[in-house]
Amino acid sequence: MGQFILRSLIQRLALLVVVSVIAHAVVHIAPGEPSEVDPTNPRMKPEDVAKIRAAFHLDEPLHRQYVYWMRDLVSGNLRSFKDGQPVLPKIWNRFLNSLPLFLAATLLIWTLSFPAGIHAAIRRGSGFDRASTFVAYALISIPGFFFAYLLILGVVNAFSVPVIGMRTFGMEDAPISFRAMDRLWHLTIPAMISAFSGVALLSRYVRSQMIEVVSNDYVRTARAKGLEEETVIYRHALRNALLPFVTMFGLMLPGLIGGSVIIEQIFAWPGIGRLGYEAILARDFPLILTINFFAATLTLAGTFLSDVLYAFADPRVRLNS
Amino acid sequence: MNVRTLLLLAPLLLLAGLVQAYFWVPKYDQQTRATPSRLETFIEGESADAKILNPVLHADSQSSRIVTLVFDGLLDLDQNLNLRGRLATDWKTTEEVFIVVDESRGFPDGAAVTPERIKARILRAKTSGRFPELTATVRSVEVLEGGAVVPLRFKSNTTDLGQPAAPRIRLPPRVRLELSRVEPRILDLLAPVLGREYGAGFDPARFLLSPDTPNEELRRALNAQLPTVEHNPIIEFRLRRNVRFHDGHPFTAEDVKFTYEAIMEPKNLSPRTSDFEPIKSVEAVEPHLVRVTYKRLFSPAVNVWTMGVLPAHLLRPEVIAKEAEERGLSGADDSFGLRDSSFNRAPVGTGPFRFEEWQGDELIKLTRNEDYWDGPPIYRNYYFRVIPDPLTKELEFRSGAIDSYQLQPFQVARFESSSRYRTLSGLGSGYTYIGYNNRLPLFSDPRVRRALGMAIDVDEIIRYVMYGEGERTTGPYPKQTEWYDHGVAPLPYDPKGALRILESLGWHKNDEGLLEKDGKIFEFNLITNHGNLIRKAILSVVQNSWRRLGVKVNTQVFEWAVFLEDFVNPGRFDAVILGWLMGVDPDLFQIWHSTQAGRNQLNFVGYENPDADRIIEALRREYDRDKQVKLSRELHRIIATDQPYTFLYAPATTRALDRKIVMVSEAGDISPPQASEGGDVFFHFNRWRKLEAAPDF
Repeated sequence: MGQFILRSLIQRLALLVVVSVIAHAVVHIAPGEPSEVDPTNPRMKPEDVAKIRAAFHLDEPLHRQYVYWMRDLVSGNLRSFKDGQPVLPKIWNRFLNSLPLFLAATLLIWTLSFPAGIHAAIRRGSGFDRASTFVAYALISIPGFFFAYLLILGVVNAFSVPVIGMRTFGMEDAPISFRAMDRLWHLTIPAMISAFSGVALLSRYVRSQMIEVVSNDYVRTARAKGLEEETVIYRHALRNALLPFVTMFGLMLPGLIGGSVIIEQIFAWPGIGRLGYEAILARDFPLILTINFFAATLTLAGTFLSDVLYAFADPRVRLNS
Repeated sequence: MNVRTLLLLAPLLLLAGLVQAYFWVPKYDQQTRATPSRLETFIEGESADAKILNPVLHADSQSSRIVTLVFDGLLDLDQNLNLRGRLATDWKTTEEVFIVVDESRGFPDGAAVTPERIKARILRAKTSGRFPELTATVRSVEVLEGGAVVPLRFKSNTTDLGQPAAPRIRLPPRVRLELSRVEPRILDLLAPVLGREYGAGFDPARFLLSPDTPNEELRRALNAQLPTVEHNPIIEFRLRRNVRFHDGHPFTAEDVKFTYEAIMEPKNLSPRTSDFEPIKSVEAVEPHLVRVTYKRLFSPAVNVWTMGVLPAHLLRPEVIAKEAEERGLSGADDSFGLRDSSFNRAPVGTGPFRFEEWQGDELIKLTRNEDYWDGPPIYRNYYFRVIPDPLTKELEFRSGAIDSYQLQPFQVARFESSSRYRTLSGLGSGYTYIGYNNRLPLFSDPRVRRALGMAIDVDEIIRYVMYGEGERTTGPYPKQTEWYDHGVAPLPYDPKGALRILESLGWHKNDEGLLEKDGKIFEFNLITNHGNLIRKAILSVVQNSWRRLGVKVNTQVFEWAVFLEDFVNPGRFDAVILGWLMGVDPDLFQIWHSTQAGRNQLNFVGYENPDADRIIEALRREYDRDKQVKLSRELHRIIATDQPYTFLYAPATTRALDRKIVMVSEAGDISPPQASEGGDVFFHFNRWRKLEAAPDF
């Protein structure tokens, strides 16, 4: 076990280095460069642009730039091109903003998917099953931003209530209860939108897992023993159906960073997805590369976590190399 | 509780908990519920976050919006875009002129020229009363002995001097004149004294010590360093007393001097360095008197002083070094400078609002400066909210969570006849155009460019693409400035006339209906940048108009960086749709002068006209406003005749505003908010306030 973990860690570290080198090269090869140049400011001279390039090391070869980036990242001195602020605290603050959205959406996905999926599996072929299948495919195939617009339009036109952003402004004198509830309300709509496709997808998984498990011999045995149907489904079948979802837990980790760029953009949510998007538009190389680096780290950590979790949860898997 | 109930209850409770929060949120009709201070708060919706809140460093319009609220300039623009004093109460422009003593020929009466004689003769002429203009202009005369040896200011590109010593010169004797105003034609004024030909025989090469004979490059450097006449315009600003920064520190001339130094410090990478380059020195003469001396005649120079003034006591190098130390970035790190200071995210100025908070990509909060010298604004809080998506911004506005935002042209009509909202509009200082690559044989003839312009129905574009949110423009200046010549008629929409012009130039329609000449059809590429839907729409309209004329146009849209790097900067394009945002001064050197047509320069269409060049240069030397107006209008006419661009329209800036917001006059009367004549919708912002219910006007 220990050996497996060690080998797996070393492999992933090597992979991380490769990913960072490729990402660095891709970002720099893409056209466009960062600078404070305002393209419509007629007074910016080429000499000024050259000075800015030199200050950002943009006039040096790629491998040197990579070394500069890594050196600054490790020492914590890495600063954004756009505003000269240190990159790491910036990413951390945005991460904290994205976290509630991610948690609320995840909670909604996992709590809604199971009852919906199980019910559809038990009543296979029923009206509910067909309806939920239809809705699920509709949710998966229609883009999320479209739903977002429809829902926002509906809510605002019907109730004249603000839904954009993390909170209503100008409420600093209001009692804490109002402010807390205001925050919760602003979380509700975006969390629901980002949960939609997740619910659709996960309930499909749950349904197919349950159908597969319910047709197993041990379920028939349980029924033959005369157990109540509820005990059969929720104790014997569900527990075994849960196994694959253990691994899905690990794979959700990268969602923390990749999250929902589109939802954050529409809802003006100052999260990490938007930070990355704005950084790309501004060609803010240090920020793009660092976010990308953390996303890669989280992906690798996620797959690692699911490997390990699976070994613990499923007695049939043994990690003897 | 069994598993089944748990599985069912969990999502229901979760959803119910989330949805009930709705009842606690303020709606449009009851914004003051639980928060009476909402009426004292102005919330503005913006599509992007600010980048850096420092008047000498920022380069984006969002940062500029905040900086103008937190900082004051020495000057700013009044209702009609004329300069008015802010931190400076008044200012006057004088001049110092240095004239070399040209001994090569005598005075008109034959006497030999010496420095002392020049001085004596000018003073005599001044007191004689025969030359009233000279008497009024020349204040004093002083002789400067030459002889000092100084290095030649010289940047070598090609010359290998092959010797260790850098070129040096001996300074010739000169005469210094103090003038009561700037006089670009000082030698004409002194002609009765010094003679018409004075200075023509002066050869700066005589003052070169080593090497003996100058080459072409050295000669240029010599002519630059030893001109016959050196003009040093001087602006003296008298500063407002009893103005304090938000931290209570008094504002003085030292702050102005420091701001200038911060811009010129190479480490700070200020985007305004080029604007301040013509300045020779900034002196704090007295605590409330600043003298700015310029290296040469450069009349647009005074406009740069509308820029905000930094507090020197918070940003001196020793303070910055201390900050670097405190943040654990050792002082040895020389790269740490103004650009890295935390000041840029928590600025301190003298403006009507003081900075309070900045949450990236979400909000910037300002509060009223009770101590503001011009009287505090009525609003207590100001929020700058970042909402990137134009549709959700509109919905947020409708729900009452923001008070104002800038409308897209298609959104304007929705608010114009509303009982809840109003629109506030001002003409912008920019314009949108189609630029032709004047270097290409296809476009080198102005008649061809004119014909292409005549085939486009610009009014139709304004009506249907801009939804009427723009005005036709005919030239390179903003319409609301005096520089613009309203006498220039716009190109008529006349496709038949356009066809006649092209036919007279040898083009004729072929079987496919395309224009053809010498076996080649009239075909070119029209491009613009990605992300601007209006330009993209114009692209299609224009393509269609030209197709009807018989011109085959291929259109493409490129991402901004690609657009600049691969097409515009290297000059590899046929025609582009773009826009400029103009300043309020008449200087057009960088966009229209023929020397600015190189790679990465702004005259990327390659416009070249000696008459235009002459006027552009004269405008920079001219300090008399009436003469400037005459010159700029002539320039406008020349450019309109040449049609290097097809000038389309100047877009209007229109904001949506809650009807509850009103403007309060000094006497306490309320009226609907108004933009200034110059188009600034926030000109009267300090007098705005929000009422509980929308008043009837």
